[in-house]
Amino acid sequence: MKEKFLEISNVSKTFPGVKALDNVKFDIVPGEVHALVGENGAGKSTLIKILSGFQQPDLGAKIVIEGKETKLNGVMDAIRQGISVVYQDFSLFGNLTVAENIGINEIIEKNRPVLKWKEINEKAVKALAIVGAEIDPKEIVENLSVAKQQMVAIASAVAQDAKMIILDEPTSALSRNEVETLYDIIDNLKKKNIAIMFVSHKMEELFHVSDRFTIFRDGQYVDTVNAKDVTEDDLVSMMVGRKVEIKSYANLENKGPVALKVEGLSKKGNFKDINFELHEGEVIGITGLVGAGRSEMAQAIFGINPPDAGKVYVQGKEVHIKSPSQALQHGIAYIPESRQTQGLVLPKTIESNITLPVLKKYRNKIGLIDRKTQRASVDKWVDMLDVRPNDPDMLAMQLSGGNQQKVVLAKWISTEAKILIVDEPTNGVDVGAKAEIHQIIRKLASEGTAVIVISSELPEILSVSDRILVMRKGRIAGEFLNKDLTQEMIMSKAVV
Amino acid sequence: MKNFAKNFVKRKEFGIILIVVILSVILTFLSSAFLTVTNIMDFMKSNSVYGIMAFGMLPVLISAGIDLSVSATIALSAVVIGKFMLAFPNSNPVIVILVAMIVGAVVGVVNGLIITKFNIPPIVTTLGVMTIVNGAVLLGTGGAWISGLPQWWVSFGSFKLFGIIPTQLFMLIFAGLVTWLILKFTLVGRGIYAVGGSQSSAVRVGYNVNRILIFIYAFCGMMAGLGAAAHISIVGQVDPNTYTGYELDVISTVVLGGASVMGGTGTVFGTTLGVILMAVLKNGLILARIPNYWQKVVMGLVIIIAVSVDVINRKREQAKLVRVDVEE
Repeated sequence: MKEKFLEISNVSKTFPGVKALDNVKFDIVPGEVHALVGENGAGKSTLIKILSGFQQPDLGAKIVIEGKETKLNGVMDAIRQGISVVYQDFSLFGNLTVAENIGINEIIEKNRPVLKWKEINEKAVKALAIVGAEIDPKEIVENLSVAKQQMVAIASAVAQDAKMIILDEPTSALSRNEVETLYDIIDNLKKKNIAIMFVSHKMEELFHVSDRFTIFRDGQYVDTVNAKDVTEDDLVSMMVGRKVEIKSYANLENKGPVALKVEGLSKKGNFKDINFELHEGEVIGITGLVGAGRSEMAQAIFGINPPDAGKVYVQGKEVHIKSPSQALQHGIAYIPESRQTQGLVLPKTIESNITLPVLKKYRNKIGLIDRKTQRASVDKWVDMLDVRPNDPDMLAMQLSGGNQQKVVLAKWISTEAKILIVDEPTNGVDVGAKAEIHQIIRKLASEGTAVIVISSELPEILSVSDRILVMRKGRIAGEFLNKDLTQEMIMSKAVV
Repeated sequence: MKNFAKNFVKRKEFGIILIVVILSVILTFLSSAFLTVTNIMDFMKSNSVYGIMAFGMLPVLISAGIDLSVSATIALSAVVIGKFMLAFPNSNPVIVILVAMIVGAVVGVVNGLIITKFNIPPIVTTLGVMTIVNGAVLLGTGGAWISGLPQWWVSFGSFKLFGIIPTQLFMLIFAGLVTWLILKFTLVGRGIYAVGGSQSSAVRVGYNVNRILIFIYAFCGMMAGLGAAAHISIVGQVDPNTYTGYELDVISTVVLGGASVMGGTGTVFGTTLGVILMAVLKNGLILARIPNYWQKVVMGLVIIIAVSVDVINRKREQAKLVRVDVEE
């Protein structure tokens, strides 16, 4: 066994009122992928913040790097000692070039007040080559696809001569093809003897890339195991502390009348010739690779991204929806993918978030908001969706990812939409909350709502939908009834 | 070369150049006085003060901040150097300019410290500092003019190289050059773009964001100080009340030059064009004999049109962006 690059023990972190980490340990050897797993709130992000030098652990923590006990005093210090983080949001500068994004740390580290652009460019080219990414170093970062932006972020970690790279939820924004590319990049890094701490919620990936798992639960260390010694079920039950079953809800009968019908819907550079029918009480799953045009199509129906051609019928009547407010009038609600930026007003309370789209309903005779009826219906939603904590006065930003997603759901359900489109409803949500969100979606359907679920996660699609549409390159490439389906059958339609 | 030309046309600056050229052609036809060296030097001289301050404001806007206190800062610097020259009649222009810049920088550092240490938004901080400094200026002068400045200062102000290029144009070029060097080739300069792009990312890659912010406001104040020296050298006396509203002209100039108030973008080249455009426009309005009050209306319209063209262009680009590789 090689010498460990990093070994930490007795690491605790106390915030006022909470113990985010309680006496945890972790170690990693060069060239190894060691995954850190746990539900939201397990303490993974706190540990990342400590290892990146962003936060200091409580007294008594022991951090050993390459055999020497040390401390990580600040971001620059951690980088200097060989630990770099590729954040979920990449932490890139969209307004600057690829080269500058990659070379920047080196410049800051050397603290030379005057720059040499040639050196920066050379450094960037070298780092991109190690990662194996073909990207023009002179390109402005915001013009790149998400996957390429991630490559830039990884290259910038490489350029810092990192000996350990922390990948925080690296695949949450990637399509399947892109995930494959990421696997290749991880292999390249392993060959260069770089240790990788991999943080993810997705079982498939965890088992694909990891050599070992360390499991945290509620801020405590649970266990460290070899990946080949455990099954997915074992891992989940260690994370959650109980067994979670993935239930299939598919119900192929009892369909109501057609709620939404789409005919020949097209938009140049977005999607082409989309046809489908959605019944009341039915859940359609739409899947496919990221970039297949799924969200674009949904946003076209909702009026954010109006189509060039095609017809949309709601309850049998043709409609021309040009804006979200028109869509809402026709009873269509769309829950966007990135709840933090598109779905929630983070510094506002649960109550004001949920009632935002329907404030009109609570007006009294003189046009002011009647707080009492508002509160009563908010209580009802919080209860129905089991938002925790169930205090409508909590701020949205104080909630965990899963509960934020429930608030977003409540917000749109409160509009009493007849047709509900949810885009990646469980992105970044932990295992337990995932199952609950699936339940909520099915409950709505059983009450007659017509639902479209867009998701890249095949287990989710297979669990929640009655019917499955697969999109590829802007078209519907396949349609299945959710009966005796396997992930492979769906994927065969999604890729060429 | 072809590519370069193509990219150049796409750049924001191209639009501004186009407006300047069109405007100049129209003005040349309207008035034979417009396209003469004397006239150009004249209007550049009278706009040099806004220009110098605009170069100071540019880094502030790139960082997604704003500095409303520049009008107060220029007033304070002007009063201080006015009194300084009366107290030390044997001094020289270099020292006077340095004093003006130091006074401005001090106000800027105060802005920066309040913004970083107490985490108060720039707009609030600089509004407060503006009011305080304005009050101090009036307390110190009682609103009275300072005149009778030494002869060496007056001749410094009216000096023209080869009898053509005025002192103030050199100050303007100096300000632009320094700003360009800082923004392009220094760590702190790149840090300014980084902060404007994403402040949280700037912290994560290890930039000392507080130090950068303090620098930005100190630099902006310093340029307001230099602006004071330029202005006093033109008019030859100090009127503490004349600078009210300067901050708006300065910010407009930078925005006209393509910098985004959302931060992250903006170049010295663009700001230079903004300065030229403002100068041509003001001169043109005078030559075209547009009444004084209407000039303000026109200026406002130009700013709104220039910025909307940019926004509309960007929207159009985005709409054209192929989001999905559709199988035809």
